[in-house]
Amino acid sequence: MTAAFSPFLAWRYFVTRRINWLSTAGVMFAVWAMLLVDSVFTGFVSSIRQDVANSSPHLLVTDLPHDTDYQVLQPVVEAVDGVASSAPRLRHYGLLQPLRAPQRLSTAGSSQIDFDHARSGFALLLGVDPARELATGNLRDWLSRESPYGSSSFLQGNRLEQYPFADVDARQFGFFGLPGAVDWAARKRAGLPVEPDVADHRSNTPGVLFGYERALRLPWLRHGDPMELVCVSFTESGGKVTLHTHPSRVAFAGCYATGHRGFDEPTVLLPIETLRTMLGADAADPDSIALVTDVAVRVRESVSPDALPDLQRRLRDAVQKALGGKTCSVLDWREQNPVMLGAIAHEQAMMQFVLFVVMIVAATVIFATLHLMVVQKTRDIGILASLGGSPRAIGAVFLGNGFAVASIGTVLGVALGIVSVRFLNPVNEWLYATCGLELFPRALFDLSGIPVRLEASWIAAVAIGAMLLSLFVAWLPARKAARLHPVQALSHE
Amino acid sequence: MSAPVLEAIAVTKDYRLGKQPIPVLRGIDLAVQPGEKLALLGTSGAGKSTLLHVLGLLDAPTTGEIRYDGERVDQRSVAERARLRHRQIGFVFQFYHLIPELTALQNVMLSGMMATSVLQYWGARKAAKAAAIAMLEKVGLGHRLHHRPAELSGGERQRVAIARALVAEPRVILADEPTGNLDSQTANGVVELMFSIQRERGLAFVLVTHDENLARRCDRIVRLRDGAVVG
Repeated sequence: MTAAFSPFLAWRYFVTRRINWLSTAGVMFAVWAMLLVDSVFTGFVSSIRQDVANSSPHLLVTDLPHDTDYQVLQPVVEAVDGVASSAPRLRHYGLLQPLRAPQRLSTAGSSQIDFDHARSGFALLLGVDPARELATGNLRDWLSRESPYGSSSFLQGNRLEQYPFADVDARQFGFFGLPGAVDWAARKRAGLPVEPDVADHRSNTPGVLFGYERALRLPWLRHGDPMELVCVSFTESGGKVTLHTHPSRVAFAGCYATGHRGFDEPTVLLPIETLRTMLGADAADPDSIALVTDVAVRVRESVSPDALPDLQRRLRDAVQKALGGKTCSVLDWREQNPVMLGAIAHEQAMMQFVLFVVMIVAATVIFATLHLMVVQKTRDIGILASLGGSPRAIGAVFLGNGFAVASIGTVLGVALGIVSVRFLNPVNEWLYATCGLELFPRALFDLSGIPVRLEASWIAAVAIGAMLLSLFVAWLPARKAARLHPVQALSHE
Repeated sequence: MSAPVLEAIAVTKDYRLGKQPIPVLRGIDLAVQPGEKLALLGTSGAGKSTLLHVLGLLDAPTTGEIRYDGERVDQRSVAERARLRHRQIGFVFQFYHLIPELTALQNVMLSGMMATSVLQYWGARKAAKAAAIAMLEKVGLGHRLHHRPAELSGGERQRVAIARALVAEPRVILADEPTGNLDSQTANGVVELMFSIQRERGLAFVLVTHDENLARRCDRIVRLRDGAVVG
């Protein structure tokens, strides 16, 4: 039973002593900061995870032996229950040098530790079969997705054309081929021999697709620009290592975007047949194999996330059996990007720890305020005891005061947090339009707006946490008040 | 003679200064009858206020007993002593001891909130407020209900303290130098007020003072010197 004077006096103390308002403001700002910062971070993380997932197939069969033939694996993979389709992938690395570059590409970035893939010409080459990739991965989305700067404005600003994906015929699309007129004009710009009449020209140059980030760094780049692509490989014979270079002519065919900067910036897409031929598995040679380093797998929609590990295991067993017992790995999208996702999770944990420290600071303010109040109100404690107030009820006065600080601060903080999250992007845009300020530089994070995601569970966790922490720190001075000796309290100066 | 409402039997009280016990009360025997006005007279340091605190259950005797209506109460739990204090005893202090954040009316109403739960008080709040207003009107402060202590004179503050002590209808009033902080004219008015209410309600009244003239207006004087009753 709470004596009636406890909440009455707690409320009177709260409204008449302005130092309580300071504590309330402390709780409010701590709750607000926790909601706002976490919602931005959660939105950011959610966006990154979505982009990382978008850059990855449902499952990836990888760590395959170097001479793996997709024609052998395809029926095995697609026979596994739960697999919808598969697509071959061939990864390698190479150097790209546009023939029309105003200067030779430099190898360094803006600093010694900032390696600039675009300007150095270094590329992680991902050879894909466009038709199979369309059915299995997210290539359709990659080609239609807007850049962070707005696809059309970016392309116009750089005098580029996007790959005419919707209109292209299958044969042309199979090698990311260019329209004849585009190829003709580009070759002419580069000083390469061309037919006198554009109508006579047929493009046979395989195309390469750059991520928007890469294309942005090469402002002189034009649609159709011919490029020299060089791969290297090593062979060992009799203890002697030999370096082989594999040059090929390709053309810049357009841009793609998965949204995952770590993928888009270094990775250049090209037809898998082109890369196979460069690496010695010539498609025209009937004896050559359909070389792959990985197989992308699309999982049927009927397979639940819980059933995925079982599918991974069955797929791995089937592939290893087909490989004659050689090992391989089957990774889901999280396992394909462990470093990136691990770093994000770590950063989120660190951020939440920092926010927890903010809450501790607010709680310390409450403690200091209430402790000070108990000292200042020591004589009141003696008065209450003389009137018949029990120690427990006297302690409840100060606990009630802490409850008022915590509950009002929390409610205001939650309301302010929700409103801030709701209007963060309009405020950001207004600041940018009027003062040129950006709370969250979109160019830096490849995002068109501030990604915010406020989850009800986080609101509840923050509110309950703030209340419990505030009540705990209020309990300490309340206990002190309850333990004061009435006579000593009455004679307190 | 009727049975005493309040008794102190062989009460001693020691304080400690380091390991050294300092005796403040030395075997006090005292009985207060219902309706009696008793003055505890003595110089500063004689132990008057300490005895008052022990009688009012704010402090425990080192040895001896405190009895209310013949029942020993000094060994009861802290919560029980608080309840007894609320039901039986009203305090009036030299420095008024009002809560500065509350108005005169709220200070008086506070007394009625001590032993009731929130729900009980909510049901009886109108009656409690009416009783507090009536008590403040009785002490002549009907026009100062909503003033805070800082907005009242010393005499008015003491009247509020008297109203607060009386509103819970105690059987014993313990007053510690109630006029010690007032000028003589105001003090006289406060004393008249206290004694008239005491007579009207038949309260036992224990008045701590070092003012011989004030003490003589009581029914009985108990003189203290060095913690012992000397007459």
